[in-house]
Amino acid sequence: MIVRPIVTTALLALALVKVARADGDAVRGEVRFQECAACHKLGAGANEVGPSLHGIFSRKAGELPDFRYSPAMKRSGVGWTPETLDKYIADPQAFIPANRMPYAGLSNASDRADLIAYLQKATQ
Amino acid sequence: MTTKLKEVDVVIVGLGWTGGILAKELTEAGLKVVALERGSMRTSENDYALPNIRDELRYVVRHDLMQNTARDTITVRNNPQQDALPMRRLGSFLPGEVVGGSAVHWSGHTWRWTDMEFKVRSNYEERYGKKFIPEDMTIQDWGITYTELEPYYDKFEYTAAVSGKAGNLGGTIQQGGNPFEAPRAREYPLPPLTPILASEMFSDAARNAGYHPFPRPSANASQSYTNPDGSKFGACQYCGYCQRFGCEANAKGSPHMTVIPIAMARPNFELRTNSWVTKVLKDSDGKRVTGVTYTNILDGEEFEQPASIVLLCAYAINNVHLMLLSGIGTPYDPVSQKGVIGKNYCYQTGASATLFFEGKYFNPFMNAGGSNDTIDDFNANWAFDRTPHEFVGGYVVAGGFNTPLPIGYRPVPSGTPQWGSDWKRATAKWYQTAMVINASGSVMANRYNCFDLDPTYRNAFGLPLMRMTFDYKANEHKMGVHAAATINTIAKSMNPTKLNPASARTDPWTVVPYQSTHNTGGTIMGTNSRDSAVNKYLQSWDCHNLFVVGANVFPHNSAYNPTGPVGALAYWTADAIKNRYLKNPGPLVQA
Repeated sequence: MIVRPIVTTALLALALVKVARADGDAVRGEVRFQECAACHKLGAGANEVGPSLHGIFSRKAGELPDFRYSPAMKRSGVGWTPETLDKYIADPQAFIPANRMPYAGLSNASDRADLIAYLQKATQ
Repeated sequence: MTTKLKEVDVVIVGLGWTGGILAKELTEAGLKVVALERGSMRTSENDYALPNIRDELRYVVRHDLMQNTARDTITVRNNPQQDALPMRRLGSFLPGEVVGGSAVHWSGHTWRWTDMEFKVRSNYEERYGKKFIPEDMTIQDWGITYTELEPYYDKFEYTAAVSGKAGNLGGTIQQGGNPFEAPRAREYPLPPLTPILASEMFSDAARNAGYHPFPRPSANASQSYTNPDGSKFGACQYCGYCQRFGCEANAKGSPHMTVIPIAMARPNFELRTNSWVTKVLKDSDGKRVTGVTYTNILDGEEFEQPASIVLLCAYAINNVHLMLLSGIGTPYDPVSQKGVIGKNYCYQTGASATLFFEGKYFNPFMNAGGSNDTIDDFNANWAFDRTPHEFVGGYVVAGGFNTPLPIGYRPVPSGTPQWGSDWKRATAKWYQTAMVINASGSVMANRYNCFDLDPTYRNAFGLPLMRMTFDYKANEHKMGVHAAATINTIAKSMNPTKLNPASARTDPWTVVPYQSTHNTGGTIMGTNSRDSAVNKYLQSWDCHNLFVVGANVFPHNSAYNPTGPVGALAYWTADAIKNRYLKNPGPLVQA
């Protein structure tokens, strides 16, 4: 009974963000996610080459206790929001220098918006 | 004291590409499968992730993913007049020894060998006459055709995420691909990798010389990809750590992230790591095998694993060793040329030039395993007339980079001192400005190049080591001269500031330095039991429930890397077992 209102609030907040980023299409974003899926899973605790993305928008960077992050990621102090994730995916090494994610970045802004729209739904 | 375990349907010896493919296919058919892997478990997330994977000392110098020669190795000699000595440290070739096998540390180069190889003797006799083939060159037709194998090449390319450009779609030559390849039913699953400066410069020069350069087909995913089994690939990041390393981005097609986890998720599959198979067991009349014995190398305990079908899927050399240790088939004798097990061991040859360009910056630290544009004009191009050059086979020439190691890759112009201040200045100056053009050439079978059991040296289990007798013959020397001339002509046309030219190899083969992990033959396939160890389905002529899968079945070696046909033949064998053998166990081809 405690969980339910929190989820509702979170959904409401995300819905607002989505309105702010009206171009994000979660259906297209699911296709974009294939670029991430070789290393990132969505299930809670499913850490593989990359950390699980479950609940990412309620976490700070480098926070999962059982994933070995780079010192750069742990020190970054970044809290994950659609905006910070957008900056990170655009150019991972520019946003958090010396992080270890082997990914050059997704340069197309609308592709990123789609991906983030999908992650907002799929990571809860 | 050997513990006898419960019988299973299939025991697989070695879990790399071939074992992984067969494990996945046969568990899908409902069989109870046990895989025995001498190496340990390795996964992308635990072992190949950043930063630990980028460790040249661990993976290149100390061979972390490769066979431990303190436990088992081979003895080597160049000819039967010499005494063979044990290879105490890996060098010339690097068999893998982990779950995933050598397919973890390969570069991903994936070729389709064609009827030029599968009908090698018929082709050369028909075009050049019987006398063109030297008497001691024991090449033979393979007993399989490209048309039979085409769907299985396709299956392997789509499983392993091969990036490339078709050169021949259903008989129509395609711009930008290899015009000399055999017809394929459809495009590669992924477009070619992004070219690098060195491969572009090579391609321009090769094109100007009238040749037909194309991007090398490689299992380095040029984009993120989901294969038909649902295995996910990331996009290649051109990190420069490909050959000898596991992939940090899950972008290199490898069994440990495709077929093996699929098999492992099934209840009818079991993997036992650190399990060293010492013998394949025969029943009393020698017509069938009954299972294998293996030792747990962590505690020395010995087991017998009975099985209805035994699949030898270890590294090519080790498959041959197991056949010899188990006394299956007649060992080959190079003097009388009787027997088959150990026959037609082949390797590859090559030549290489280094080009130095003041003012160019090649960024050798950024490339994929397949960042090599290639020409096939002197290999699969059957119009290339071998008559004046008097050699059988061919070579491919490539320009670009494959894993120029940050510490180990130190190109300097010839004449530079090998140490001291002058060397340091030269390596700092030329590291960024050098590129390589190299050739990889076929090796035709020769009656004296073979395997047998060593009479003197034994491994950690007290079993005889396998003895390799190998050297290059006149055919390879002639090809080397031609390849070096081709390389040097292309290289000079590019006007480098300095050039270390290619030269034909004249020295005997030795175990140092690294040359190529493309060892073939020893249990060759063919049309009859007199001159081959297995039939076209890789089924032993002697014991019908034994299949020997890998490059060990190749009757000779081509210029191409071997993994394409190795993967295709594994799928082909899986189909033969599922669709034919299980319904009617017995010889699939009458001897």
